[in-house]
Amino acid sequence: MRRRGHAMLELAISAGVMVSFLAGTFQFGYAFYVYDQLVTAVGNGGRYAAMRTYRAASAEDVEKARTAIRNMVVYGDPRSGNGAAPAVAHLTPDQVDVEWTKGESGAPEWVAVSIREFPVDAVFAKFTFRGRPGVEFPFVGKYAPSEKEP
Amino acid sequence: MSVTMLLLLAVLGMAFDLGRVYIARNEAQVFTDAAAMGAASKLDGTTQGIERARTMVARVPMKWNLGTEKFTGVIVEFSSDGKKWERDPKDAGATMARVTAPSNQVEIFFLRAVGGPATFTVPARAVAGSNPVRLIQ
Repeated sequence: MRRRGHAMLELAISAGVMVSFLAGTFQFGYAFYVYDQLVTAVGNGGRYAAMRTYRAASAEDVEKARTAIRNMVVYGDPRSGNGAAPAVAHLTPDQVDVEWTKGESGAPEWVAVSIREFPVDAVFAKFTFRGRPGVEFPFVGKYAPSEKEP
Repeated sequence: MSVTMLLLLAVLGMAFDLGRVYIARNEAQVFTDAAAMGAASKLDGTTQGIERARTMVARVPMKWNLGTEKFTGVIVEFSSDGKKWERDPKDAGATMARVTAPSNQVEIFFLRAVGGPATFTVPARAVAGSNPVRLIQ
């Protein structure tokens, strides 16, 4: 009877340790998995943004470019957005920041693409990636200040 | 009990350590892509172009290890045929830039306890061509 009691006590202690280990494993594993997917997504968006022609006939054209880059990050396609599955579950284009750093001539020199805020629900805890992951690519595309977006 | 703990450490290590290794690999690849594209965009057939390409690579601000550490030991090489790569080419007519980030060492926490390595090196490399600037590899 006493032996059975010891076994129960051992199980209770070790089960607590094991459950917290497993919960931690799941949380870190899932968070890293999501972060890795986000790095891939912003990387794809950054490559596209770096090579894309910067048309700036009006503020509307710049906004169209921003939308295309956000779609590239989220859907892997600049024109997509209608019913397409996002590359990362629950990621939406409005969670993506796109900013150009311009030189003295007004031409973009760098383009930064980052995740503004993305909550991750890892079952045991919820946390939010803010401002990361982010990438910054040198702008290597054509600068067309008087062209309009098609 | 100790066998179970070892197994648990191994599983935790797979999730935690390998997760960070995969992220570092991805971050390094994005960095080398950006650096190679930036370098290739500066190549104009002159030695000044080569120098500007090197400066551009040094200015790429991206970091690794969850965006916290700067890339170090980055190698920039140039080629005009994609076969012979040189860090200081005698002929300034290079049309391709290759950037290698060779020394990104991810520290291993849990897998080390079950016989894994203390660090895991995650190198990355990218090649870009100029005119038009595009990634080749």
